[in-house]
Amino acid sequence: MTESCISCGMPLRIPEDYAKGDVTKAYCQYCAQPDGNMKSYEEVLSGMVGFLQHTQGIDVNVAISMAKQMLSNLPAWKHLS
Amino acid sequence: MSNLLRTEQKLQTREKILIQTIHLFAKQGIQRTKTTDIAHASAVSHGTIFVHFKTRDVLVKESIEKIGKTITDRLHALTQGKNSLQEILKAHLLSIQENENIYRCLLLEGPSLPTECRTVWVGIQSAISFYISTALLQEIEKGTLRLMVPSLLFNTWIGLVHHYLANQDLFAPNKSVLSHHGDKLIHYFLELVAPLMKG
Repeated sequence: MTESCISCGMPLRIPEDYAKGDVTKAYCQYCAQPDGNMKSYEEVLSGMVGFLQHTQGIDVNVAISMAKQMLSNLPAWKHLS
Repeated sequence: MSNLLRTEQKLQTREKILIQTIHLFAKQGIQRTKTTDIAHASAVSHGTIFVHFKTRDVLVKESIEKIGKTITDRLHALTQGKNSLQEILKAHLLSIQENENIYRCLLLEGPSLPTECRTVWVGIQSAISFYISTALLQEIEKGTLRLMVPSLLFNTWIGLVHHYLANQDLFAPNKSVLSHHGDKLIHYFLELVAPLMKG
């Protein structure tokens, strides 16, 4: 089993954490489109910015910068750095 | 020596260096810990540190990531089957208490660390906030709490906790701040939000 989502880093602990509950996928439910394919970089970035703002109320420009940095370390997006 | 054995040894050395780094950070602070200290504590040559970690900043960042994972994994384990805000706050404090010294270092020295490390710290806090927000939303749905902005609730709580942690010398000199004051902080915080819970 994959330990964390290759797109956002979220821990993958139980089947429900995985995209469409499929433990063979390497990404999480939040990084999956309705058809089960992985979201685009822009969609994941937007989601992560929203997450940082929702959980800590961080300034949007700071959240964008930090989200980009977080994603740049993840397997799905490293190649874009 | 076979390649497999060599790889395994490399991983073990890497892990040993990370563990000793965290131990030294907790003991003497991040900025004050030199890579020579880490090499000595890990029983490796100074050069070996840089075989495994390109720069000191990379070692610091990976150490913080390891600490963050320890805390968030522990928090996840402690919150299983727990739903109330009180239970989640208790789990939060316990997950920090078990790593209190190193957490305090990150809290105090975070602003002066490289940006990459700051990002890891923010990620840790967001993960913690997510658990607290989830409990908050469940209580709002049950009608036991009024609608509140999750980030403000979290920032109020973490502000209180961090104030006590940052000022250990005032609140619990040479002791665990959270074991001494944790229950009181939870009780007081819930009292603060309690008026919002009534009718």
